[in-house]
Amino acid sequence: MSDIHVDVVVVGAGPAGVAAGIGAREAGAGRVLVIERDWDLGGILQQCIHPGFGLHTFKEELTGPEYMHRWVRWAHDAGVEFMTNTMVFGAYPDGSLDVMNPDRGVFRVSAGATLLAMGCRERPLGAVNIPGTRPAGIYTAGTAQRFVNMEGYMPGERAVIMGSGDIGLIMARRMIWEGAKVEAVFEIMPWAGGLRRNIAQCLDDYGIPFFLQHSVARVHGRDRLEGVTAVKVDDDRRPLPGSERFIPCDTLLLAVGLIPENELSRMAGAQIHPVTGGPVINELYQTTCPSIFAAGNVVIVYDLADWVSQEGMAAGRNAALYATGRLQAPVRRIEIAGGANVRLFSPHYITGGTDATIYFRVNRPIEGRCRVFASHGLYERRERYARPGEMNEVRLKKDALAALPDGATRIVVDVEEA
Amino acid sequence: MHKDRYYDVVIVGAGIVGSALARELSAWSLRIAVIDRASDIPSGASRANSAMIHAGYDDEPGTVKAALCAEGNRLYRELAGPLDITLLNCGSYVCGVGDGDLAKLELLLDQGRENGVPGLEIIGADELHAAEPNVTPDVTHALRAPTGAIINNFEAVLAFMDNAQQNGVDLFLETELTSLLLSDDRGAVTGATTNRGVFFAPVVINASGTSSDLVAGMAGDHSFRISPIRGEYYILDKNYGHTVNSFLFSCPTDRGKGVTVAPTAERNLLIGPTSQLQESREDASTTAEGLAEVMDGARALVPSITPSMAITTFSGLRASADTKDFVINALDSPHGFVNVAGIKSPGFTAAPAIARRVVDLMKDRLSDIITFVPNRKFVPERRHIPRFESLPVEEKARLAAADPRYAQIVCRCETVTEAQIVEAIRRGARTVAAVKIWTRAGAGRCQGGFCGPRVVAILARELGIPPDEVTRHGGHSRLLSGRTKDYWFREAGR
Repeated sequence: MSDIHVDVVVVGAGPAGVAAGIGAREAGAGRVLVIERDWDLGGILQQCIHPGFGLHTFKEELTGPEYMHRWVRWAHDAGVEFMTNTMVFGAYPDGSLDVMNPDRGVFRVSAGATLLAMGCRERPLGAVNIPGTRPAGIYTAGTAQRFVNMEGYMPGERAVIMGSGDIGLIMARRMIWEGAKVEAVFEIMPWAGGLRRNIAQCLDDYGIPFFLQHSVARVHGRDRLEGVTAVKVDDDRRPLPGSERFIPCDTLLLAVGLIPENELSRMAGAQIHPVTGGPVINELYQTTCPSIFAAGNVVIVYDLADWVSQEGMAAGRNAALYATGRLQAPVRRIEIAGGANVRLFSPHYITGGTDATIYFRVNRPIEGRCRVFASHGLYERRERYARPGEMNEVRLKKDALAALPDGATRIVVDVEEA
Repeated sequence: MHKDRYYDVVIVGAGIVGSALARELSAWSLRIAVIDRASDIPSGASRANSAMIHAGYDDEPGTVKAALCAEGNRLYRELAGPLDITLLNCGSYVCGVGDGDLAKLELLLDQGRENGVPGLEIIGADELHAAEPNVTPDVTHALRAPTGAIINNFEAVLAFMDNAQQNGVDLFLETELTSLLLSDDRGAVTGATTNRGVFFAPVVINASGTSSDLVAGMAGDHSFRISPIRGEYYILDKNYGHTVNSFLFSCPTDRGKGVTVAPTAERNLLIGPTSQLQESREDASTTAEGLAEVMDGARALVPSITPSMAITTFSGLRASADTKDFVINALDSPHGFVNVAGIKSPGFTAAPAIARRVVDLMKDRLSDIITFVPNRKFVPERRHIPRFESLPVEEKARLAAADPRYAQIVCRCETVTEAQIVEAIRRGARTVAAVKIWTRAGAGRCQGGFCGPRVVAILARELGIPPDEVTRHGGHSRLLSGRTKDYWFREAGR
């Protein structure tokens, strides 16, 4: 075993991890190592060959691989080291990692600061509890995307898509482009899970039927999928009797949500938030293990890769500051809480000594003028709508936080009809 | 055309019974074939069950079941080491609420003692909750069975068969019995006809689970009938595998043992089953009603369980015979036909003891047609494919240094390496499901989302077939429909 010590080690070379490496180098870390389990850099964006990335970062519309290519080139220029095809299989409270790859075998990596950027994974069939048989032909949308875009194979010819998460919408269009039929997209909620622009560009433009408040109640077929039973659901998501209909298909793609991937965070002993499924962090991206930082979809699932890169970069900067003993010391502890229309948010507390951005999603859409705000008059903004498919944010200023009375230990963020 | 094959014994069915029996028989110099219609083993009830090694208090003293269950439990403890089967010696509790249940627990206690089950005792609520803090506070008493254990049921079947194959047994998959060959006077078995040709043999053993009454019917034996009982289950994420520490039963009712809550050998949490009598011998699908019943039953025992903890669901069919007991006999006519049928719960537990009983029966009844000479080359032990995830770091490093494919992770959730998958294929895995059964690749929380494409690629490479010919579980279960852009050529040719 040849162990490695670096100033900052980053786990994952997707949009968060690559940007974190750059941030760490720019903030003065000496040796910065990004570890990636896949053969190539870029994470899931490697297989996202559709355009729509980079509008905020590069002011132009790029594909996923193009977007990551720019970041990776930037990281190389910044002196970030990468190690691909390398798996982290153990993590400790001090941030050191058990790592292996076919070249070096098993080794230990220790660091002044560790940054977790493992991203998220898709909810599988079992997690959504659809009864029936277990035939071939049921894939998460991302697995199907990998087969089509990277391996060059079709998962099937006649698809139904369950859930309206963005990857599902993108794959609906992709399947059409590859000559397959897409029978329908079913969403159990009364609103779409993905971005409005994807509904328009991936479903409406191709005449793919999109049914809200519908679900797949049963899958059929012994060897290969032969069809699904679709059903309408009521406001409590219960199937409405008599609304069942059989739809012949050989493929069912699932786009029913993403879960932050935190096995390493758990192993390291970082506290995991029961609602987000990601580590509890403060506005400095610090987990409950002080030398371990986390950023991107491993913390909370974002809507746009640009935000993930931006957060990764900021987190990388703080990890470097921590490693060199320069990180802003906490002033106080202020809890963040969601209001009536906010359940998913991050960070969960702030330390009061610096500007802080709280990211969150609304529980239900508001299709009209609304007020995005933080309590104590810390922030307010007007919007024309707020939708669960899109990430929202409030920005808290350091000076305003400093002016809060000592008794104020909790800030509520919310969106209301205005 | 298929070539004819000559054996001493043909075993129909490679479930736990057929596999344990094949291994037991392989200690003798006999030519043995095991046939199974599935494309990987185990299939049927041995694949989808509670993975419980019962202590042996459930069954009425004097029944074959009662005798073989306690003995099977003892044999698994003895064999788990040499056959390298994961066995979790965690003990079990039957949880009772109130005095009515206490009377039932006392009955089980008496029954268990009579069956020779060691260490049984009834404990109070405090002691139970100290051991199992997440069990509902409603529970007032529990029957503790320290010999209750949990097994990796896939590994157990593979281990028996793997060891049997090492000792000369031939396994034929995707091989379905179509009829028996009988002598002209129909008084003796001469072989078995299958979709892959004829297997000539003077002894045919019926270990065919839910089909066993149909197979017996081929021999003219209509003395029992199998009713498939569907059991549905949830598997919960490993993050909740320590919610309970032992195998937990509710107090049995007229409808059976009810929904249980238990860790699996790999520390997922398993909840189920339902008990739904049905006609179909094939339909092992899950149902909305069944899954709801499992969730409600599990939450009645352990209230903190929620549906969001689930990573997958499955369903299995138990082969319940109308005789109520195991059917283990050798027919007078046709001579050479042996039933090992109706092996429902606690059949998995009893299987090693059943195997021994069947060998004794064969020595007693069939020595005129086959000769029992010890197999001098018999090796009583085998090793499973290294379970990389559970090895200490030093051992991981040693394996990775010796073979870099051990440092190549394929399944992230269960930390399964390329070396393990290649070895599984070498030992006979031909499908994505078989790779999962052998190695747990795809058995984790993402259910093959990440590793699926890589497992397909490795299977294609190792088997020398295109990726779109790789199947999920044999038959018509191809995973991919062809190359992208194929449609263009199809359309253009029109």
